[in-house]
This record gives sequence, structure tokens and C-alpha cells, in this order.
Amino acid sequence: MNETFYDKIFKPKTYTLSNGKEVTKRASRTPLILLIVLIVTVISWEVTNVDLSVIRTRGNQFIVILLDMFPPNFNFLDNIWGPLFDTIQMSLLGSIAGAVLAIPFALLSSSNIIRNRVLNGFFKLALSILRTLPTLVSALIATFIFGLGTMAGTVAIFLFTLSYIGKLMYEHIESVDMGAFEAHESMGLSKVEAFRYAIIPDILPTYLSVSLYAFEGNIRYAAILGYVGAGGVGLLLDERLGWRDYQSVGMVLLILMLVVFVIERISEYFRMKLT
Amino acid sequence: MIEFKDVNKTYPNGVTALKDINLTIDQGEFVAIIGLSGAGKSTLIRCINRMHEINEGTLMVNGVDVGKLKGKQVRSFRRKIGMIFQSFNLVTRTSVINNVLISTVPDLAWWRKLLGLFPKEKKIDALEALDKVGILDKAYNRVDQLSGGQQQRVALARTIAQHPDIILADEPVASLDPVTAKVVMDDFKKINKETNMSILINIHHVELALEYADRVIGIRQGEIVYDGKSEEVSQDVLNQIYGSVENIPKADDPEEADI
Repeated sequence: MNETFYDKIFKPKTYTLSNGKEVTKRASRTPLILLIVLIVTVISWEVTNVDLSVIRTRGNQFIVILLDMFPPNFNFLDNIWGPLFDTIQMSLLGSIAGAVLAIPFALLSSSNIIRNRVLNGFFKLALSILRTLPTLVSALIATFIFGLGTMAGTVAIFLFTLSYIGKLMYEHIESVDMGAFEAHESMGLSKVEAFRYAIIPDILPTYLSVSLYAFEGNIRYAAILGYVGAGGVGLLLDERLGWRDYQSVGMVLLILMLVVFVIERISEYFRMKLT
Repeated sequence: MIEFKDVNKTYPNGVTALKDINLTIDQGEFVAIIGLSGAGKSTLIRCINRMHEINEGTLMVNGVDVGKLKGKQVRSFRRKIGMIFQSFNLVTRTSVINNVLISTVPDLAWWRKLLGLFPKEKKIDALEALDKVGILDKAYNRVDQLSGGQQQRVALARTIAQHPDIILADEPVASLDPVTAKVVMDDFKKINKETNMSILINIHHVELALEYADRVIGIRQGEIVYDGKSEEVSQDVLNQIYGSVENIPKADDPEEADI
């Protein structure tokens, strides 16, 4: 056993058997890690100037806006349906397209299937760049290309879904047992064929579950994309907040909550079935 | 016919796996390859279907120079060689028959591959392969519901449905109990007799090797130290192949780690 610096400070424990043989157990690293986490927390607290007293003195403002939203303006309902439908459509279409394209991306990013490091490095990089790009920013860029409206929102959601599912799936693929894949290759199947028949059956339940989860998250993202002109209820929220028409805002939020709740329930039900 | 001519194989980390291998195996032979873990048995077998590359020498299989094959040629060459693994290597989340049908995949139309549909005559062929190894009744069970012995027979049926000339088996009975191991070995023997497929088996159980194989090849540190009839294997020969306890190779050798 090589003695590291850590072992010199925290001595390893030694057990001696009755016949004189010795077994040493290294001291746990957990206290050190906890200490580091604590230090980092304190530093970020200081850096971000968290001042809890603000919550006490101005916290009631939060309630004020919420109270202004009551009672919600039910007459506004007719204006909501169209944009709400757009929002659901954007997230559904973007999620499906992203989930489908995520499969070839995940395949090309998996280092256990594609041995070419340049190739899968490229696709891993592409996925992580897409993921770092905030959806609002990609929606904004998309509005420059496709103009204002739902198309831009759909593209933004598509890109995010692709990067999110692509990443989760390639990580899953890289941890899959490669035995069947090897057997299929030994029978003369190409890599893509072996992937289709050996890996897909293994990852399918996870893939469907992750896709549903991405879809339910996307509904919430889609709701704010209107802020940059990418269509949906976000547009409505932005406009009504600008007019300080909080009762209509309340109505929009209420409907949105209901829709998100229903979709989450449905998605949860199917994800339970899958696992 | 399989012909090794002065074949050498060295792993990228410098370990020599095969040294000056000269070997001829005729069509229809039943050969057992014995030797210590890490002696080069797996490497020898995996060179035959190009799962491993050789560094030097030539390897001819049924008139084909294996080292010269490229891309698509490798795949069509492999179709004529079946392979059986210690850990079965089946797709466990699908049915038995779907696993057997995998061997027909390269012939299918693209839309069949995408949807996972197989033509009726291939299904009948797959069911017949299952019947040959005696697990026809499990055809529509999921693989993860089967025992180890049954799973290895599914793997064998998958290979039979491939209609190969040669079957390579890498420790096929190492994870089975002694009784099941015999059943699987009987299946190999039956296939060998009925269809004249050549069978090459890597095996740790010397008694099984001597009982079932016609010919035994002993490998020690990458070299062939014995090649002859199984009846002529004596205790001296075994000592020569396995050596004494002190010579057991280190556990961290690359061949074992690779698998």
C-alpha cells in the first residue's frame, strides 16, 4: 500500500490477527470531502451577499403580487387557449424531434461503440455546447432565423431536448454490458445493426422514461420562451405583466399549473410502468 | 480448413499472446484447446474470426487470408463462423426466438431492421434450431427467465441458425454446473457429428476435453506445447501444458482483463 500525504495525517487503522498477520484499512476520505463542501458553501454565501434580513423586511412584496392575482380574471380565459395550445405544441414537437435525433447522437458519442476518438469527441462536444446554451438564448437566436413565433420556440426546445437526452443516453450506453454487442459483431452484423439489436432493447425503457421526463420539463420551458418572442403563453405573460394586469397573469398561471400538473401525472404514470 | 502459418500476436502493451503458431485444422474436426488462464487460448480462437488482429504470419480460413479482409469483407466472412461465449452474451430483455433470429439480420431489408420484423421462413428456421438443442418450448420466453444452461443452449441455437462452417467456443461451460456442462457438450458433439461443422473449444475442464474432443491442443505462454489425439494425452503431457504451481501467470495479464 503506497502511503499518500493523507495517510500521514490520518493514520490507517491496523488489525492484527492472532497469528500475527496484519491488515490495514485506510482512514475514510469522507470527513475531508465534507470539509471542502462546507468551505465552498461559506465562500459562495459571502460572494453572493446573501442577506436573510431582506426576507423579513420586504418578503411581504411576494404576497402582495400574489394577492393582486386574486381573483383570477376568468374573462381572460378566451385569450389563453390559443397561446396555451401553441406552448404544448412547441414542447411536444420539439421533444419528439429531439428525442428521435438523440439516438444517433448518443450512438456516435459512445466511446464503447465508436472507437474513433475524434468522432465521438466531436459529438460529445456538440452535445455539451448545446446543453450549456440556455434555452432562452437559443430561442432568441432561432427568432433571428425563423422570425417571431412558435417555430423559433420549437427549434429551441428541440435543441435542448437533443442535448439532454443525447447526454443521458450516451452515458447509459457506455455503462451497458457489451457481451451481446460483441456476439452480434462476431456473427457479421455491422456496428449499427449490432447497436440496433443488442443495445436498443437494453436502453429502451430508460430512453422512453427520459424522453417523457424531458417532455414534461419542456412544457415549463416553453411557457417562458414567449419572452424573447418565440411564441406561446410567455408572450401573454410578458404583455400582461407589462400592463400590471395581475388578475389576467393569475389566470394564465393557474391554467399553466393545471396543464403542467396533468401532463406530469400522465408522464409519471407511464414512467412507473416502464421501470 | 483453418491454417495458421508462423502466426505471432503481441498486445499493444508488449505482452506476447501467441508465438510462432503453426496449426492446421481440417473441416469437421472437434478440437479442445487447453492451458492455463492467460496462456493465449482466447486469443488463438478470436484471431480466427478477426475479433483480434494478428501481427505476423498468415491465417487462412477456408482459402481466405483473414488478415487481408477489409470492412464489409470481414462481416461477410464472420457470417460463416459461429461463436459461443462463457457469459452467453444474449440480449436478456427480449425473447429467446428474437435472439436466435439475430443471425439473419444482415440479410434483411432496411425497414425490417428498423422495425425488428422477421420473415416467416426465418422464424421457422430459428424454431428448428431451438428444437435441435431441446428448448423449443421456451421460444417465446424472455431470456432473463432462463437458467444458465438454457441460456447457453439459446446461444448455441443462435449459432446453428447462422449455418456456419466453424464454431468457436470460448469457455462455453465454465459458468455451468457439471451436469448442465455435459448436456451442452453433448449438444456440441451432436452438431459436430450431424453437420460436420468444425468445433474449436477453449476449456478448463480437462476431463470434458478428453471425453468429447477428438484432438487436443495444449497452449503454454503463447506456444503450442502439445497437439495430438485426445486418447494420447497422459499425465506427463498435462504437466507440460499446465506446468507446476509456481509458473501460474499473474492475474493482471491483458487477455483475462480484456474479457
